[in-house]
Amino acid sequence: MLGQYLPLLALLLLAAAFAAGSFIASGLLAPRNPSLAKRAAYECGIVPSRETPERFPVRFFLVAMIFIVFDIEIIFFYPYAVAFGGLGVFGLVLIMVFTFAVFESFVYLIGNGALEWGPLKQVARPSGAVSPDRTVETTIRRVGLEDRGIPADDGQAA
Amino acid sequence: MILGLDPLYVGDFMGDLLVTLLKVVVAFVFLLISVMLMVWFERKLISDMQNRIGPSIAGPWGILQTLADGIKLFFKEDLVPDNADRFAFKLAPYLSLVPAFLVFAVVPLGGDFNGDDGDGVVTMFGHDTFLQVADPPMGILFFLAMSSIAIYGVMLAGWGSGSKYPLLGSVRASAQMVSYEAALGLAIAAVVLQTGSLSTHDMVLDQAAPGFSLGAFGIPNWNIIVTGFVPFVVFLIAGTAELNRPPFDLVEAEQELVGGFHTEYSSIRFALFFLAEFMNTITMSAVIVTLFLGGPAGPALFLPEGWWIGTVWFFLKLFIFLFMFVWFRATLPRFRYDQLMDLGWKLLIPLSLAWFIMLAGLRVGDSENWSTTKTYAFVLGFMAFCGLMATLLTAAINTARSERIKAMEDANG
Repeated sequence: MLGQYLPLLALLLLAAAFAAGSFIASGLLAPRNPSLAKRAAYECGIVPSRETPERFPVRFFLVAMIFIVFDIEIIFFYPYAVAFGGLGVFGLVLIMVFTFAVFESFVYLIGNGALEWGPLKQVARPSGAVSPDRTVETTIRRVGLEDRGIPADDGQAA
Repeated sequence: MILGLDPLYVGDFMGDLLVTLLKVVVAFVFLLISVMLMVWFERKLISDMQNRIGPSIAGPWGILQTLADGIKLFFKEDLVPDNADRFAFKLAPYLSLVPAFLVFAVVPLGGDFNGDDGDGVVTMFGHDTFLQVADPPMGILFFLAMSSIAIYGVMLAGWGSGSKYPLLGSVRASAQMVSYEAALGLAIAAVVLQTGSLSTHDMVLDQAAPGFSLGAFGIPNWNIIVTGFVPFVVFLIAGTAELNRPPFDLVEAEQELVGGFHTEYSSIRFALFFLAEFMNTITMSAVIVTLFLGGPAGPALFLPEGWWIGTVWFFLKLFIFLFMFVWFRATLPRFRYDQLMDLGWKLLIPLSLAWFIMLAGLRVGDSENWSTTKTYAFVLGFMAFCGLMATLLTAAINTARSERIKAMEDANG
């Protein structure tokens, strides 16, 4: 069956040649006058003030690690999915125990906040800028003459 | 050397080789043309949905717009930023594009699968062959492998650019693709369980078998029905996320990240990423059709028989999904990143895991001749167990959430 890999190899070479050919064609056809501004990192027109950070949030690393656990589980699933017929109930029980073990540790990770992302619900935060006894009544200024110390028209003008 | 050892190439060696090469070239050209049409189709359809005209100048109905854009990009200046890691920067487009081409090789494109003798074999110039570029025994694993390699393309592009937005975009992208790949793999495992083989050709053959019939109306043996719809839905969602298409296009959320991982790419390098992206959309649709909708095996109906009818069915089904992906883009607002991760990890993965085990139990019960009572007992018992696990998971999520709120409140005094 190794013959079925030959077309894959051929397609790989063809695709790579297509990409390489495009680069060569672009190299021949495209203008070439780079300037300092063009070669700088693009930050919407603002001159980059800091180097590109080499660190990023550890959450992404955690995701990668949890993925590896699941990936290994899936790798074990595939042979089982092909060969489950010969394994019978014994194989079924084993795969269930295995899945339970992985899932249970996944629950433990989640319980420890491993995949805890994003904003929390709005927590009422005391702020010094606004006095705590501020209400709708005190902040909205009324339109009209009432409650402003100006005597209302008693209807004589009409 | 390898060819000499292979029985397939013993005998009429040159003839088989020529047929193989012909298929490769046809697939290659087909992919390029279909990408061209897909980009046009997406732009035209989305402009219809948004009540505008869309491309209309180049060629009839603007159908050559993509070609014009492509040619234009050849004449644009190609820049490599000063901060870039030049090797990674130049390697990344290859790693994106080549897997996109390769995945398509394992998709069966046609052949007659109906009737008793329908095995999808067609005869080309006196050689029996399948209408797919290659049918390696590992089949669908090859698809998973290639989509993993495509992640390297995105990661290296972002990291190699030496710029902030691409780095952020690529870190996001790889976390997203990696997360959804687990759900994708589990959904495929359910199909493999049904088929008992990893080869895509065998999957289509299995689905072409007659399903159970309700009177005169036969329900096809497609995996979307046989595996109980859930793996299909999981695969569709995870596939959309894997493609970085809306509503999961956080990778290139313009408002936050400019262009995402390809911000620093210009000229033809950008074009190749763009090409790979659309090619992946087509390939993912083709893989969904193969896995869940019977690929080229359509319902027999009243149609004439012949190898081409399979191809017609295949493209009809493919078109449904291409339309759907564009429709998603026009309709659904983008997810927030934490919602995306929550959906993937806390819903799709546990769901597809449980579904896989239940299908495995049913299949084992089938082969062991369980009585109906025993089967029901298994299903009910397993569902009760899943309920317990779901409660546990919810409790864990709530614990983590309340811990974090408490920590924040403590910090705020």
